[in-house]
Amino acid sequence: MTLQPDDFWSFSEWLLRPESFLESALLQGVVLLAFATLVGLLVAYLVSAVRYGPSEGFYAVARGVRDLFRDDLPGTSPRRIFALARLAYKEAIRRKVLVVVALFLVGLLFAGWYLDPRSSDPARLYISFVLTSTNYLILLLALFISAFSLPADIKNRTIYTIVTKPVRATEIVLGRMLGFVGVGTLMLVPMGLASYFFVVRGLRHTHEVVDIKELGDGRFSGKLSYDQFHEHTFTLEATGDTDGSVLEGVTDYVRGHRHIVRKVGDRYVIGEPTGALRARVPSYGELSFTDRSGNLDVKGIDIGAEKGRGDYGSAGIARLVGVSREARRMEFGYVEGGTLGSAIYGFKDVTPQRYPDADGIPMEMALRAFRTIKGNIVSGLSGSITMRNPDNPKIESTPINFVVQEYDVSEERLPRQIEGTDGDQIRTLDLFQDLVTPDGRLDVIIRCIDRQQYLGATSSSVYLRPAESSFAWNLFKSYFSIWLQMVMVIAFGVMFSTFLSGPVAMVATFVCVLLGFTAERIYDIRYYLDKGEAMGGGPIESLVRLVRQDSMTTDLDVDAIAAKLIKGVDSVLVYTLDVIATSLPNLPKMLSTAEYAASGFDIFGSLLARHAVATAGYVIAAFLIGYFFLKTREIAA
Amino acid sequence: MAIDSSVTSVLPDTAKSTAPPASGVVIETRNLSKVYRDFWGRRKVAALKSLDIEVRQGEIFGLLGPNGSGKSTTIKLILGLLFPTSGRVLVFDQDATETRKNERIGYLPEESYLYKFLTTDETLDFYGRLFDLSTEDRKRRIDELVEMVGLQGARHRQLKEYSKGMTRRVGLAQALINNPDLILLDEPTTGLDPIGSRDMKDLILSLRDQGKTVLLCSHQLSDVQDVCDRVAILHQGELKELGRVSELLKVQDVTEVHARGLSEAAKQEIAEVIRRHGGQVESIDNPTTTMEELFLNIVRESERRPGARRVASEGGNATGAAAANAEAGR
Repeated sequence: MTLQPDDFWSFSEWLLRPESFLESALLQGVVLLAFATLVGLLVAYLVSAVRYGPSEGFYAVARGVRDLFRDDLPGTSPRRIFALARLAYKEAIRRKVLVVVALFLVGLLFAGWYLDPRSSDPARLYISFVLTSTNYLILLLALFISAFSLPADIKNRTIYTIVTKPVRATEIVLGRMLGFVGVGTLMLVPMGLASYFFVVRGLRHTHEVVDIKELGDGRFSGKLSYDQFHEHTFTLEATGDTDGSVLEGVTDYVRGHRHIVRKVGDRYVIGEPTGALRARVPSYGELSFTDRSGNLDVKGIDIGAEKGRGDYGSAGIARLVGVSREARRMEFGYVEGGTLGSAIYGFKDVTPQRYPDADGIPMEMALRAFRTIKGNIVSGLSGSITMRNPDNPKIESTPINFVVQEYDVSEERLPRQIEGTDGDQIRTLDLFQDLVTPDGRLDVIIRCIDRQQYLGATSSSVYLRPAESSFAWNLFKSYFSIWLQMVMVIAFGVMFSTFLSGPVAMVATFVCVLLGFTAERIYDIRYYLDKGEAMGGGPIESLVRLVRQDSMTTDLDVDAIAAKLIKGVDSVLVYTLDVIATSLPNLPKMLSTAEYAASGFDIFGSLLARHAVATAGYVIAAFLIGYFFLKTREIAA
Repeated sequence: MAIDSSVTSVLPDTAKSTAPPASGVVIETRNLSKVYRDFWGRRKVAALKSLDIEVRQGEIFGLLGPNGSGKSTTIKLILGLLFPTSGRVLVFDQDATETRKNERIGYLPEESYLYKFLTTDETLDFYGRLFDLSTEDRKRRIDELVEMVGLQGARHRQLKEYSKGMTRRVGLAQALINNPDLILLDEPTTGLDPIGSRDMKDLILSLRDQGKTVLLCSHQLSDVQDVCDRVAILHQGELKELGRVSELLKVQDVTEVHARGLSEAAKQEIAEVIRRHGGQVESIDNPTTTMEELFLNIVRESERRPGARRVASEGGNATGAAAANAEAGR
């Protein structure tokens, strides 16, 4: 898994963006709120001016705002909200929405048939399957239950008996939201539990020993049977027990897991697969490069088209007003082999308390390789790891060589004791005493050994692994992310249902979700429009090109006035869409937490906190908008 | 089975936090008009034209009129379910859109718009929770109301299994859950059998006896005549008549005499006396009872003496009916 630059932001960095405040989420939230308020007031004034006349309309709007702060917000009672929430909850339950859970469970029973057991990484396949299916199912369900309930109440006039009680619009809107969130939670819990067992049980399997031979020194090597479309090899060693009858060993890693094999007497005991379901907690470092002559360099060598996919996701207002334009993308920088070029990772908080393991600090690498000559294609490129004291570059360990495993994560260990140079003398260096600074910093230098070959690195390519979180906890965090998305959809659904009929409210909510998913595409279109690059243009221009069967990149071949008109209308459309898309929640970003769980990475707490805060913001906005629409609506009309 | 109207009197006065307005006027409409418009704001129909009425404390006020005369519109405007096009509605001296006034209002809609998936207990519990009632008060009140509307046996059944009359009873119970000072009843007797209808009327009277104000709208003329103190007659959105029922119905130049045990000769003599005084005899007849009275008497008797009732052939002497008639005439 490679991370985008903004994935590294801590919560406060995301919220405030100290160096570039225009990108801050806080600013975006405040601006959106102010913008929504302004548009809301303007629309409200226009509507009431038409209804009551220009001056009366002004007073009507002022009264509405006053009522909210003077009466309705202070008068909102938790007891009534809870009563209304219970009603919404009971309604959904008595309408038997829980059947969806049963359907999901039935779906899981058959899913095993369709998940390819020959996959090289079955764990990823299983986890992403359960997470994506629950995610879409829950969002769909949230869409349905939230959009139809209030319009049905108004249509059946059951709402009459509620609004003639001392119930405020705030309570109706909040009560609905809360009730549906309750229903959703009730459905998500069994689905999550079922998913957990489905993944754990689905990956569980065992093998038998089919071949074993003694290596002579009391050790054995052998092979396990071909089951679940793979096989393992293993070696056994004496465990050092009293009579030497118990031997133990582990198999090789195949498809992301291995087994522990024990020989007790004549019997072989093969353990459960381990290592498939992980939740690595990575600790990333600051990356810098040196060029081929050893001078410090920011970016490393660009070998062409090395900008990965990335998004504008958290660019905030900066992108909307055109201060920062391009998508924020992670970039691989390359290090030339056999030169002084290197990639330097500066790690922080390297302390014995954090890395207590006596075998050394676990480090994992996912580097890229780029070959300019064929070289030895069998063994792969080789590189080296050197540890260096950041304060005193003269203290440096001897290089540890490794072979680059492309497309895979390779695990290394930085040993506690290692030969190295301290100025002029060569001695055994202690990792924590000599190489790590007192405040816990350590530089790790990656070099490429093979001449004319290149190693590619980005910030997330190399990391220390201070801990391993539990898979169950990580799955829980993924489900929490799904829960947040559900809350978001429910809030929008309830908001729209305060002034639209059920089906229309559902479509409106759906369009909002969809716009969230296509937001990046809209940003791209605007980017090309701003840059004056011919990339198909806006909606009208694209339509013209489609009809005329023109290529995307040629100039638009119509006469000058028509072109001007088309581009004019297009830019209005695109800028409007841009504003709308920027105002909507970034659901795909929230959806992408599933990728962490599937790749075996612990989902960052800061990422969840960001999503949670954004969700809360949108829920408050949806609540206020819903309140105003319900309050100003003639219920009996 | 009967709506036991005596129960309401023992209910706690929970919602009487604010005293009734000094003026004694509970509802006041001033030049109230409502024009329904379509989506584009085009005028569709003027449902109510400059209505000025006052409903005073402790009276039963009836809104009378044919379908589409603006009765329901008026009630909805009073409840704040609709906003007036012009004019104002004041309820307890507050604007009709004010939520707080609902603390003291009970509303029984035209049809009982209740949640069909809830049971009676759940329904009343839900509506009770919308008021500031303590848990014990709410529970006690629900028990009392269930008993009052006679649904003890069906407390745990979902409303979708109920007949129309039963739903109506639940609707009535929810309207009274807060022991309101003002009760608005939209077509209170529709969907009720004659007994339920009579019980409802008795209840309305007993509510008034407790000092509550009742506003009802109906096109069942007999209902209005039986219970209302004052009526407003609406037609095509306009107020046509307003006044005390007793006065509106009094025919000034006709005199009515009720007597028992007179012989034919005595009747002749009375007619003679009338003629002598220059009056004109329109009819001298035995009074007939109403169908309602007849039906109620039969049912009452059947409750006293269960079993099949012998029905005489037409023209014969139906003892039961005669007895019932006699009872009604007494």
